[in-house]
Amino acid sequence: MNITGAARAAWAWLDDRLGVHTVMDFLKHKPIPQNRQTPWMYTGSLILMFFGIQVLTGIMLAFYYRPTLEEANKSVGEIMTKVPLGWVIRSVHSWSATFMIAVVFIHLLSVWVLKSYRKPREITWMSGVLLLIFTLAFGFTGYLLPWDALSLAATKVGTDIPRSIPLIGAWGTKFLRGGEDITGDTLSRFFSFHVSVLPLCLLAALALHVYLIQKLGMSLPVGADEEVEARRVIPFWPNFVYREGIVWLVFVGLLITVAVCLPPTLGKAADLMAPAPEGIKPEWYFLFLFQTLKLFPAKILFATGDTVAVLLIVLGVGLFFFLPLIDNRPEGRKGKIITGLAFLFIVYAVVMSVWSLQTPSQPEPDKIVAGPQNIKESTGVWVFLAGIWLSIAVLIYLLRLKIKETDRLFNIGYFSSDKR
Amino acid sequence: MRLRHSLFTRRQFLDGLLGGWLGGLACLLLYPILRFIFPPEREPEQVLLPLVDYASLDEGEVKNFAWGSKPGLLKKTSAGEFIAFVGVCTHLDCNVAYLPDQKKFYCACHKGWYDENGINISGPPPKPLRRLAVTTEGETLIIKPEGAA
Repeated sequence: MNITGAARAAWAWLDDRLGVHTVMDFLKHKPIPQNRQTPWMYTGSLILMFFGIQVLTGIMLAFYYRPTLEEANKSVGEIMTKVPLGWVIRSVHSWSATFMIAVVFIHLLSVWVLKSYRKPREITWMSGVLLLIFTLAFGFTGYLLPWDALSLAATKVGTDIPRSIPLIGAWGTKFLRGGEDITGDTLSRFFSFHVSVLPLCLLAALALHVYLIQKLGMSLPVGADEEVEARRVIPFWPNFVYREGIVWLVFVGLLITVAVCLPPTLGKAADLMAPAPEGIKPEWYFLFLFQTLKLFPAKILFATGDTVAVLLIVLGVGLFFFLPLIDNRPEGRKGKIITGLAFLFIVYAVVMSVWSLQTPSQPEPDKIVAGPQNIKESTGVWVFLAGIWLSIAVLIYLLRLKIKETDRLFNIGYFSSDKR
Repeated sequence: MRLRHSLFTRRQFLDGLLGGWLGGLACLLLYPILRFIFPPEREPEQVLLPLVDYASLDEGEVKNFAWGSKPGLLKKTSAGEFIAFVGVCTHLDCNVAYLPDQKKFYCACHKGWYDENGINISGPPPKPLRRLAVTTEGETLIIKPEGAA
């Protein structure tokens, strides 16, 4: 038996036991509609890709990171200055988080505006809201880990917010901080949340989310003619995967380029006794909530301003979670009010964020600025970037050829099982 | 010889090119990951020790010093010279001890024995203990890897 024959036999043996062909058959017959809402479908898999990058780079950073009061800031500094290419890996982790959260928001707003959450996809939406919450929690817990003045102040404020919730609030703050105040225990706890609790929660919600998407299929635009749509579909495998490949490659290239050009800095180690630095700000995705909290006066009627603000935010998240049950109209209705609310939310978030950015933040002294360690490394990094983009360009060209080929094969019925 | 038909189809050619190129990109991306995961060895270029701390050693006596993250052993020979070893067993990396009464280095992990010059004499060690070069300059002992200028 020659090598090809042996490989084929080994594959048949594995397939017999794993049932890969069952999955592939399913993916070959999973229809992807081609209409004006198709572009938004790429956001889901893009989030998945960024999450994968987060897992990979996160594991790598955890190889060198030490979550203790004395060592946290120092070890991040060492990752940035001593570990080979550590500054790039940290930068990719930080930027990939930003990209991921941005795409999560786009994904969510697209589903919101297109009304894809309607029956029977209510639970898909709810699991998606859970995924959003876990993703933001990842961002929040990860922000503390470098342990500089900025991250300490942001965490102090962030973990104090639950306290404003009547009855259970104080308990929530204690749970997050591991005590009344932020200490080394908070750091250990946040590290544990960030690297084990949240990944497990997110994977569970993700499994439900992805399962439901496979079970229910892709949604169609409101009021679409199902028969017309059914004539325009392409199969997920291989036609759609090649298209997704192009999107993934472009974003991998963008991510690495941004990460190399704009690596995050590191302030000096946080001092638990020092006053909060001037103009503290959370990460950009919390800015609108941060600004909202600033707007409320100290007292509103019988409650403190914070309590009212936090209760409003909780109410907002609750309404958001149950959106599919609130907007449970027949499928044909456009739901203009809901769409209007989505755009209102976008305007509100943008205005609040921009407003929040008007307060100048004081540049911090003694920052570790990341970058290539020597001329050899900086040359290497640029050659590497050029190589990446060259490969991506060639791959996109090849993928476009494959798209043309598979579309032609699909159109002449080569992929349909009855004609083979 | 002229073939009447191509040996493989356009589709196979395209698939191979696409797969190969993807593999190439994966290798390119793997490089920084491997660089990060395997940091370069940081063996010290040299270790400086103040002579006063070691001058009082008796002949045949051994004192420890830090050779990077490994134990170094400095020994005064019967001729009054200093010699130095990396105090790590050549069998499976355990730290060795010097037994002054037997004038031998001993590794407790798998009962490896070295004589007073670090030569493996019994048990599993395959090689002698690694020697380091010792020179004296004024009041300082300079310890370098053997062979280094």
